[in-house]
Formats: sequence, C-alpha cells, structure tokens
Amino acid sequence: MRLLLALLTIFVLLVPAQGARLVSQLSNDTVEITSSYSGERMTFFGSIEPDAGSTEPVVGPFHVVIVVVGPTQNRVARQKTNNFGIWINTDQVEYENFPSYFHVLSSGRLTDITDVTTLTTNNILPEAYTLDANSADWWKNAVFGRQLVRLMGQQGLFGIQENGVNFLSGNFYSARLTLPSGAPPGPYIAHTYVFKGGEIIARKSEGFAVRKIGFERFLALSAVQQPLLYGIICVILALFTGWLGGVVFKR
Amino acid sequence: MQVYLPIAELSVNLFFLVGIGGAVGFLSGLFGVGGGFLLTPLLIFSGVPAPVAVASVTGQVVAASTSGALSHYRRGGIDLHLAMYLVLSGILGAFGGVAMFALLRDAGQLDLVISLGFLVLLGSVGVLMLVESTRSLLKARKGVVVRERLPNQHSWIHGLPMRVRFKKSRLYISVLPVLVIGLFIGFVGSLLGIGGGFIMVPALVYLLRVPGNVVIGTSLAQVVAMMAATTILHAVQSQSVDILLAFCLMVGGTAGAQFGAAAGKQLRGEQLRGLLALLILAVAIRFGLSLVLTPSDVFSMAVVGGAR
Repeated sequence: MRLLLALLTIFVLLVPAQGARLVSQLSNDTVEITSSYSGERMTFFGSIEPDAGSTEPVVGPFHVVIVVVGPTQNRVARQKTNNFGIWINTDQVEYENFPSYFHVLSSGRLTDITDVTTLTTNNILPEAYTLDANSADWWKNAVFGRQLVRLMGQQGLFGIQENGVNFLSGNFYSARLTLPSGAPPGPYIAHTYVFKGGEIIARKSEGFAVRKIGFERFLALSAVQQPLLYGIICVILALFTGWLGGVVFKR
Repeated sequence: MQVYLPIAELSVNLFFLVGIGGAVGFLSGLFGVGGGFLLTPLLIFSGVPAPVAVASVTGQVVAASTSGALSHYRRGGIDLHLAMYLVLSGILGAFGGVAMFALLRDAGQLDLVISLGFLVLLGSVGVLMLVESTRSLLKARKGVVVRERLPNQHSWIHGLPMRVRFKKSRLYISVLPVLVIGLFIGFVGSLLGIGGGFIMVPALVYLLRVPGNVVIGTSLAQVVAMMAATTILHAVQSQSVDILLAFCLMVGGTAGAQFGAAAGKQLRGEQLRGLLALLILAVAIRFGLSLVLTPSDVFSMAVVGGAR
C-alpha cells in the first residue's frame, strides 16, 4: 500500500515535468573507517538546471531538502515501569527496517517548504519509519515511535538541520553534514528533493558507503567469518599479554 | 588519541581505555581478583554496547589472571587436579550462561538480570567479607591471636558420596560440591562478564576448606581456563568480542596489576579484605540504586536480531 502510494506520488509529480533537473554531487562516495576514524565531514552540492532540450531558464525561489538514510536494522523501543519498587522493562515495540542513521538537511523550515503529507509520503520526517511496527496498537506504535526517534536524536544518529542547505546563488546550493563516529557502516542513501511552491519539481538519489578498511575491516570480517579462530587468537593474545606483563615486571 | 573499535563500532579515546584498564588492574592486583565486576559496568557506562563489553572483558580477565596464575604455578600454589574439576564443570556452566545471555538480551531483560545478579552476588559476598574482616581486625587489635581454619575441620559437605583425593590441597572430599561450585561460577561468570574470583575464593576456603597456600593459585588457574573458554564461546555465538578493545584493556590491566600487587604487600590480609568488601558493596549499592531509583529516561532502545 505504501509502496503503491509512493509510486503514485512519484508518477504524479514527475510526469508533468516542470522543466527542471537536478545536477548534484557528493564530496565522497565512500567514507573509510580507519583506526583513527572519528567521524567524517561530507559536502553535498548541486545546481538546478533547465531540463535537457529546454531553453527556458529555471527561476526560483527553490528549496532543497537532503535526506540521508543509513543502513536499516530492526530496533526495539522499551519502556520501564515501576513494579513493587523495582524498575523493569515491561513494554516494547519492535520497528522493522528502521534506519540506523537519519539526517535531514534543508534550506528552510520543513513546514514552510511543503505540507506534512508530502513530507510523510516521501519519508522526509523520521516518524515515517515508525509506521512499520510489529504491534497492532496504533497509539502505542506512535508513542514508542516518537520516543525511539528522540533516543536516536540523543545519540546523534537522527537529526533535522533546517538551515543545513545554503544557496550560493539562485540555483546553486551546498550542504555540509558531519557523520558521527557512531554512524554504523553500511550503504547510505542521500535523497535530494527540490521544492518550488511546495511541490517537488526534481529529485535525485545518490548512494555512498561507510565501510571499514584495512586492519579494521580484516578484524571485523574475521570475527564473523572465522569466529572460532578469532576467539582462539583472542585467548592466545590474552595469555601472551599476561605472561609478558609478568616477565616485564618480574613479579 | 581516538581509536576506532571495529566490533563495538565506535571510536573511544585510547588513553581512557588503557587508563580504566590500568586502574582496574591496580585494584585486581591489590586484592587478587580479576576485576571484571568493575570493568564491565564501567565500559557499559562509557557507551560500549553491553554484549561487546561483557564478551571483551572476559578476554581481559584472561590476561589479568595469567601472570598471577603463572607465578603461583612456579611456587607450586596450584592444585591442578582440583582446578581441572572446577574448569570442566565451569565450562559446562558457561555454555548455559552464554545461551541464557542471548535469551535475555532478546527478551529485553538482560540489564535487569545483570543488575539483580550483581546486587545479590556482590551484596551478599560484600557483607560477609566485611563482617568477617571487621571481626578479625577487632580481634587483632585486642591482641587475640586469630587462628586460621584448619583444613581438617569438617562439615556436612565432606560427608557426601563420590569422594576424590586432592593431594595438593590435602583433601579427601566428594566431587559433588566441587562440580556445583564450578557450574555455578561458570554460569554466573559468563552471564555477568566476571571471572568470579571473589565468589570462588570464599567458596573454596569456607565450603571446601582448601588450605590458604593453594586457594588463590587454584582460583586464578580456574579463572584463566574458564574465561578463555568463555571468550571463545562468546566469539562463536555472539561474535561480540572486540579484540582491539580487549587488547587495550589488557595492556593497561597487566601493567596496573603489577603495581597493585606491590601495593598489596604493604597492607595486611584483613585490611585488604575489608577494603575489597567495601568496594564490592559500593558496586552492589550502585546496581541496587539503578533498580530502585526513578530512571532519568524510562524509554530505552536496542538493536535486535544481529542485524549488523
């Protein structure tokens, strides 16, 4: 149903071409995690050009919204309640395919750019991802979903920067995003939407990957592919370190 | 200097890791315990995911106990026969603990069980040790000679069947209590990410009447072997052992332990036990409060189903 709706929206919005297209670029298409990795700054830039074959110049004012979505995971939100004086997790809602990273950069207040329906159907608001929950209780889903988004925000994994996109000229923009070191590795997608008068007139999606390289990649891979060997090597390392400590300090 | 932990998937200050490893190592050298019961909560508190913290600390406990176990071995302070029984039943218990760990994590009750487990275990052991050490401190001050318990004093435990002779400990006792102790410590240790030395030592002394000269060595040998097995078990089952995290902790820990052991020689046995009891109680109270006090945030979140 949602897919159909999304397809329909794309269809409706794209067919009456408004004579504009988006030419955009990412500063880097891979973010490499090395041993000293502590986050990475990325730059998005692009310009709104007239459609191929069209000679009319494009005129603004435009708004640009960039949505960066990280790899999805299944996540639960849990609530503690007080039972007989002890705080226990008593209630939980699981959200499937919930993004591990979600940031919105926009050139203005989202509610000024367009209406909530457009924002929700295009997954521009983080709450859009909380609809896919395993609980039948709609109200509970909504409550736990809001809390989950809040918790992700506290970790710096979710966020909305409503002044994140700057227009350098009438149709050339740039935006900066700092990926925190806690942003998990995996495939990321940056969706860029160009709005004019509350309507999407152009869009583009670009992928980039956050991945471990070198030694970190080797360690993470061997932990998954050769878990037994990895465990044994951990133990040997521990025994050796302990022995060496004893020898060095002559206990 | 930031270092990226490949399994925990976050970057942490290297000096912070080596520092807490060293501080805990100092305490573990001072008191002759593994220090897992301090390190695991510290890591969780500093943002390392709980499964990674528990699994990696098991690796660090192996390193922290190795140098101690080796020096006891050279001095002949290990009853290998007794240690073997403890290790075998301990590994069996660890299987149960690791399985239980996964079960509780998926049910969302891992934090609760860890807090309750620490509260009950540390609370009771801490109170017992505090009472015992205060009593002997007071007696020593009055000038009464404190007599160590002799290994030939018997209790009902020594009347059980299936008796085995442990030459080094000069014991001829049933293997059943030995196996039960091993099983219990294996289970609890792998569930809570602790070596269990602080339960093992009193159990050996008070329940089995193992003589003082082999207690620490045997307990350390048991911790090394059992924690080594638990590390491998965690690596295979949950793949959450972060070798880099464990290594940073090991380096700090083994260095700190040497200084702790040297400092420990300045203090008397009862004083050491009293201090350790206070430390254990403080951690127990910290866990107790976290259960009772209104949490700052009643909502929490977690990733489920190994979707890495």
